[in-house]
Amino acid sequence: MKLLLVAVLALAAVAVGIAHAAQSHTTLTVYAASSLTDVLPRIDGGERYSFGGSDTLAAQIEQGAPADVFTAANLAIPRALYAKHLVTKPRVLTRNALVLIVPRSNPAHIHHVSDLRRHGVKLVVAGATVPVGKYTLQVLAKLHLDVVLKNVVSHETDVRGVLGKVALGEADAGFVYATDARTARGKVTMIPIPARGRPSVAYGIAVVRSSKHRAAAAAYVAKLLAMPAQRRLRVAGFLAR
Amino acid sequence: MRFLIVLVAATAVVLGFLALPVIAIFAHVSPVTLASQLGNPVVDDALRVSAITTLEAQALVLFLGTPAAYLLATRRFPGRAVAVTAIELPLVLPPAVAGIGLLAAFGRTGLLHTGLPFTRAAVTLAVAFVSGPLYVRAAIAAFEAVDTSIVDAARTLGAGPARAFFRVVLPLARRGLSAGEALALARGLGEFGATIMFAGSLQRVTQTLPLAIYAEFDVNFDVTLAIGGLLVLISAAILVALKVASAWTLSLQSSGFRFAPSTSS
Amino acid sequence: MDTLAAELRVPLRAFDVELTISVGGTVALVGPSGAGKSTILRAIAGLVRPTAGRIALGGDVWFDAATRVSLPPERRAVGHVFQHYALFPHLTVRQNVAFGAKGAPVDELLERFGVGTLADARPTALSGGEQQRVALARAIARRPRVLLLDEPLSALDAHTRATVRSELRELLRTLGLPALVVTHDFEDASALADTVGVVIDGRLRQLATPAELVSSPADAFVGALTGANLLHGTASRSGDRLTALRLRTGELVYSTDEVVGPAAAIVYPWDVTVSHAAPDDSAQNHLAADVASVTRLGNRVRVAVGPLTAEVTAESAERLGIEEGRPLVATWKATATRLVPL
Repeated sequence: MKLLLVAVLALAAVAVGIAHAAQSHTTLTVYAASSLTDVLPRIDGGERYSFGGSDTLAAQIEQGAPADVFTAANLAIPRALYAKHLVTKPRVLTRNALVLIVPRSNPAHIHHVSDLRRHGVKLVVAGATVPVGKYTLQVLAKLHLDVVLKNVVSHETDVRGVLGKVALGEADAGFVYATDARTARGKVTMIPIPARGRPSVAYGIAVVRSSKHRAAAAAYVAKLLAMPAQRRLRVAGFLAR
Repeated sequence: MRFLIVLVAATAVVLGFLALPVIAIFAHVSPVTLASQLGNPVVDDALRVSAITTLEAQALVLFLGTPAAYLLATRRFPGRAVAVTAIELPLVLPPAVAGIGLLAAFGRTGLLHTGLPFTRAAVTLAVAFVSGPLYVRAAIAAFEAVDTSIVDAARTLGAGPARAFFRVVLPLARRGLSAGEALALARGLGEFGATIMFAGSLQRVTQTLPLAIYAEFDVNFDVTLAIGGLLVLISAAILVALKVASAWTLSLQSSGFRFAPSTSS
Repeated sequence: MDTLAAELRVPLRAFDVELTISVGGTVALVGPSGAGKSTILRAIAGLVRPTAGRIALGGDVWFDAATRVSLPPERRAVGHVFQHYALFPHLTVRQNVAFGAKGAPVDELLERFGVGTLADARPTALSGGEQQRVALARAIARRPRVLLLDEPLSALDAHTRATVRSELRELLRTLGLPALVVTHDFEDASALADTVGVVIDGRLRQLATPAELVSSPADAFVGALTGANLLHGTASRSGDRLTALRLRTGELVYSTDEVVGPAAAIVYPWDVTVSHAAPDDSAQNHLAADVASVTRLGNRVRVAVGPLTAEVTAESAERLGIEEGRPLVATWKATATRLVPL
């Protein structure tokens, strides 16, 4: 019995040693908005990513989550954290466009944003605290289509939830980022938002102050702001900074 | 002696680990804050949705699950093992998968095109789907534990199958059934993954207490704590009520006659 | 009294139970455990469905494979007492007895069975004997037309058993219903019924009076089962630490057991030796009578000497020239005589 205990402890020590040796490259923990799920790992696959609704991620960071870098789908959320001295001053990482999507089969025959007014249309949006949800409200307000909100059947917790429901064909329509719509190309059809209604979607990025790898984090941010990464973002459908 | 110390230490750790998060909720939110949050429409609406869907779901589970469990417990037929496995399967499914399954079956693009998604009925179904198997499995065990000779006796005394079930089997199985229902109730109250997948989340319609916690988490931590505290209190109340009920039945069954029984035979 | 006519076949795992029997009065079925006796009762009660046969009480057909009639248990007028009584643990004694009562006077019944004072108790608080009486009262409350008793005495301790046995015998006599009693104990069977059937591996090997079963077993199986002789009489102390049992026929039988009052002596045939003259030994019991029957079982022979059956080897029987009608003396030890109070 004692022998077994010693053996287990020895193995544990070896494992820890190996882990430390592998730390010549510091693996950063990056908290990022879910719309960046596909593109960020392709730019830098060596880090540990946690994707989710920007508001949820921010709340977790406030509770002390061990993130090194934080990027949100708007500037307001990182700025709020900056005001609380939790992150460095946010920079604009990239931009995105909001778009209306409908399932390929388009069961409700939606061809224009105003068609959403029709009675019985099942509209899915993100919750008001999620950036894409806020943008949706902005769009509808600018287009004077607030009445459309009565057709909302679900407030999803992040943009991927909206995408999923439309892609599955359960919802008639939903508002997502153009980049998200592209990932589900075969399953959804994009309907552009009239120019006068388009919101300004800017992604903010900052280093988390409590990070133990401030230097590496800052380097990561710099890497993302540099040309090669920016080109990758454009290819994925994001817009110029 | 040393062995006993190890046992006690382990128990202390387990108790601490399990009790601490629950106590911590109330350390963060005072009863006053909790009470004041009860007026918050988000909390009230979520409470209402949870209450109604829980009642509907558990009614479904009890009224359909009980006879099904009785059949499976008392009859052997080809395919019985498969049937039992099929009923237990939702238990091991991750809730999100359960949600996808429900969509695939009842969604607009599913096998049976229904208008269920995004409705309160969808919440009820999702809750019934994930919590029902817990009850049915416990009910099968409870019915199997009833001595068949007692049921036979009831039949030979003139009771038909239905009367024998209600007057003999059910009272004797009651403890196991209550315990199973407690589990199902608790599981159903906390259900999240399948609900958000199949029913979505809309205040006053489909947003249950767990969904509300998630929605409010980044808005107002106080509300989140309040809902959390509320759920703890409700769950504790259910546990206590069921324990009291089963202890009461147990004492009725085993209590001896008040005066000493005769020693003559 | 109605007669229960049962003819049935029920396949069990190791063998088929196949039996034809007519019950008017009390019939006991004896056999080793697993012989299928309980199955017979369950088939008559309607708890198990035979694959063939017919079960009818008087003119009422309860089961008929040919016409596909099979009444469920609740529609058959049986009073079934189960081996471990199967009392409802969640109900009081009174509620138990009232369960199938249909208006029978429950309290009267409780009094009659001597459990009136226990009316509000729960079955788990009762002793074995009390539970048995409640089970009987419950079955009788239903006003059955036939009684089925499954091992009614097996779950009782030796002391209670004797008392309950005689009470049960009385009850069966008073009720006047056809009754089928199942037991693995031949003594119990003999005490309760005038007709005893031996069931082995699902088949009825022999149906006769207890005495006939002992003296003329149909085969070795029956012989092995129906071991004992039972001699009824009244016991009283007799000096020398012996008990004297005065048989109804007048003879005295001695035993080393201490019993007083009405009792039965149990003597196993193989403990009895036979000879032409009584050996001079006061530690032994002697019975001189004419040989009533001689039955050969393989290389053993059962000889009925008056009321007592002895079992000797075929050679001894040859040597002694045993034949029916000839006088013989049966000898056995007082220590080989067990006394049981009746």
